Amino acid sequence: MAAETLVPSSADEAVQLFGDGTDLTVFAGGTILMPEIAAGRLKPTRALLLHRSGLDKLRTDGDVVRIGAMVPVAALAGGPDGPLARFAQQVADLEVRGAATVGGNLCASPGLGSQRGDLGAPLIALGARVRSAGKGGERTEPVEDFLAGDRAGRLVLELEYDKPFGSWSAQTLRRRHAHSYAIANVAICSTGDGLRVGISGIGPTAVRARAVEQSRNAEDVLKDVDPVDDAVASADYRRKMLIVLVGRALDEVGSS
Amino acid sequence: MKAVGARLPRYDGVGHVTGRTQYVDDVRVGRTLWVKALRSPHHHAAITKLDTSKAEALKGVRAIITAADVPRNVYGHLEGLGVPGDEPLLADGEVRYKGQPIAAVAAESEEAAQAAVEVIEIAFEEKPTLFDIRLALDPEAPQIHQWGNVYPHYGPYNHRRVRKGDIDWAFEQADTIVEGVYRPQAIEQMPMETQVCLAVPEASGRLTIYSCTQAMYFSMGVVAAHLEVPLNKLKLVGGTVGGGFGGKVDTASDTICALLALKARHAVKWRWTREEEFLASSTRAAWHIEIADAVTSDGWILGRRMVTLHDSGAYARFSPYGVTKHAFHHSGAYTIPNLRFDGFVCFTNRVPTTAMRGFGVTSVSFAVETHLTRVASVLGIDPWELRLRNANRIGDTSGNGVVMHDPSTVAVTLAAAERVGIELPAEYRQMTSDARSGELLPEHLVAQQRLNGEGA
Amino acid sequence: MTLIVNGVEHEISSPSLTALLHVLREELEIMSPKAGCQQGGCGTCTVLVDGEPRRSCLTPLATVEGATITTLEGLGQAEELSPVQAAFHNRYAAQCGFCTPGMIVAATALIERKGGAVDRDEVLDALGGHYCRCTGYVKIVDAVMAASRGEVEPVADLPAPEEGEPDVLVKGSPA
Repeated sequence: MAAETLVPSSADEAVQLFGDGTDLTVFAGGTILMPEIAAGRLKPTRALLLHRSGLDKLRTDGDVVRIGAMVPVAALAGGPDGPLARFAQQVADLEVRGAATVGGNLCASPGLGSQRGDLGAPLIALGARVRSAGKGGERTEPVEDFLAGDRAGRLVLELEYDKPFGSWSAQTLRRRHAHSYAIANVAICSTGDGLRVGISGIGPTAVRARAVEQSRNAEDVLKDVDPVDDAVASADYRRKMLIVLVGRALDEVGSS
Repeated sequence: MKAVGARLPRYDGVGHVTGRTQYVDDVRVGRTLWVKALRSPHHHAAITKLDTSKAEALKGVRAIITAADVPRNVYGHLEGLGVPGDEPLLADGEVRYKGQPIAAVAAESEEAAQAAVEVIEIAFEEKPTLFDIRLALDPEAPQIHQWGNVYPHYGPYNHRRVRKGDIDWAFEQADTIVEGVYRPQAIEQMPMETQVCLAVPEASGRLTIYSCTQAMYFSMGVVAAHLEVPLNKLKLVGGTVGGGFGGKVDTASDTICALLALKARHAVKWRWTREEEFLASSTRAAWHIEIADAVTSDGWILGRRMVTLHDSGAYARFSPYGVTKHAFHHSGAYTIPNLRFDGFVCFTNRVPTTAMRGFGVTSVSFAVETHLTRVASVLGIDPWELRLRNANRIGDTSGNGVVMHDPSTVAVTLAAAERVGIELPAEYRQMTSDARSGELLPEHLVAQQRLNGEGA
Repeated sequence: MTLIVNGVEHEISSPSLTALLHVLREELEIMSPKAGCQQGGCGTCTVLVDGEPRRSCLTPLATVEGATITTLEGLGQAEELSPVQAAFHNRYAAQCGFCTPGMIVAATALIERKGGAVDRDEVLDALGGHYCRCTGYVKIVDAVMAASRGEVEPVADLPAPEEGEPDVLVKGSPA
């Protein structure tokens, strides 16, 4: 474990050291990387540690909530009630939430036999935008586009979403104990501009369910997603449960 | 006996709550090498190539062992009970379960040991697999064990048998036959402490092994047998085990660490990862149990036919013993005069199975009690009353002729009923374990009685 | 780099990505945090980092430079058990003891955060990520709630001998 470690003390320094991310392992909270290292599946040679980079600010500027990439999941879990707080409360357990970060959760790859990155669903539903740095410089884009694009070589700096975010619903199906991975997550926000539907926990990334947004028909979620088989649940079960969860969420926001 | 009923402090309680209790991984003996194992990625395969030379040349690697390094590679845990050995300590020419250890490395760090494992050259030719114990007796199924797919050494039989009375009579006489299939699943004991061993060669030529085994003297015998050394060459140090639940009665890590410590002439430690514990440590077995009870309309169980298939995994280990215990309890705490039980130890390409909390008996208790409730339901009889009528009493005999001198079924059942607020009729509340008589002694229960207490 | 562990300052030489768990166990030989899973899933490695309960197996050393680390050893010793330690001992909340360090550290942090009595739901929320395979959890939860209420009974002792009965029948035996 004699990796070269880089510890930037500002966001600008982090961006500069990150470069285009080549041959670099980025450590946010470490809750996903450390088990990979312990198991011998990851052997970092150059590590960028963000814990001193000042990316942990959580603040509200007028109508915009800004969440630094290093904001702990625990801070979101303890925040005002909303879809983000609800899903944050279900990540792992209290101790892991204290170390895990929103940036790390957003960028999480699947585990061995489970899906991660639950927070993608509420962030999509909130219409959140992610500001990232990397090759080609800094850019800001909707979360769903960031997740669907090629994000190798991007360093997440901050997330932001607008308030108010309308009526909302957070639906999840998982076993009822700490550390259980999701079978399926559905988040919906409904404003005057329409619905935003975020789905996570059913595949490698969270997705935006645009067919459901258009039709307001829960069964259309199967047009938007392609759930996977894993150790937690079968794709078939996920498909059946998603229709139920989307239906409940639509009811709750008053939009079925 | 002044301790009975007193609140006594745990002698290890203060150590536990102050972090001073010492588990094997906490023992420090100076510089220690770390062990990692090469484990089979296949469920069933021939090993066509195994070459450790590149691994041995790696920096920090001090010893590597394979089957060739084990003085006696095949040794059965129950050879003392007449169960022949069938399992190699380290795979020899083939692997029969995913996770089976093939080679073990001792190196100066955990990373160096793991790096060495990754450069061991190994090639396989996969073979057909068997996972469903219901196919074990099918001659068309892949044959995966040198004994065939079923343990053949129950005397002249390939199954544990219990025969009592006249089962055909019972099934002819019955008013109803009640059938059921019960399939308790495999369970990983998941102790909080994973399997771990520290082996230290002493100046005297003896070997000290700090072991997490649940059965120190037993493990000592196993290590001595594999190493072909007298027992007095070994000193096993036990202590506090971080949970075993039956999963630490077959700690192969003791023997593997002993061999590496001798070869490297150095203290070695092997601490299993949680993944290894889930993948490769022995589990409680899965079972397939079929019961058919010949019963009368008024609630007598005239006879029971039962077939049990037990998933022993790839090797026998303790399964022949577990199925024997299972067989002994297949009539439950009840007197059934006509019995026909066949229990098969079946081999599959899974991790060999072992004990967990009531080895062999938890499965049969679950099955027979569930079945009894089913019988009650079919007959329209109260399940408590059914149990109390058929309960073992003084002078009744078990399936293999053990005479009941002081059975507790009646007392315990009545106490349980009271605890959960069940109001039984007076005639049942007054029942005792006294020898059967009157209405509780129908004709068909006379022959199995041994009121003088002699064996059947 | 420097680490303060149980009130003692140490110069650490382990590489910067080493898990705090291994720094404590291998470099400092502080053994109460355990390597139960090394995935952050079991809770046996939990320690306090600046008073907050954290999984030491998930914590890269570099991220806790200069931090104050507290392990079970730092919460109390045999001569003077902390309230949570005493409650666990008095109420048989430990059997094999392997989960006990993580449980006591997490419970201590919970009671400190709450600043008073905790109820069952609060204990389950705070300790929900800690596994125990021996006790079935009931006595652990009871011990935490009792400690939070300040209920610390003295440790039970052997009953006194009766008139004419020798004090100890077998020297060295507990009963």
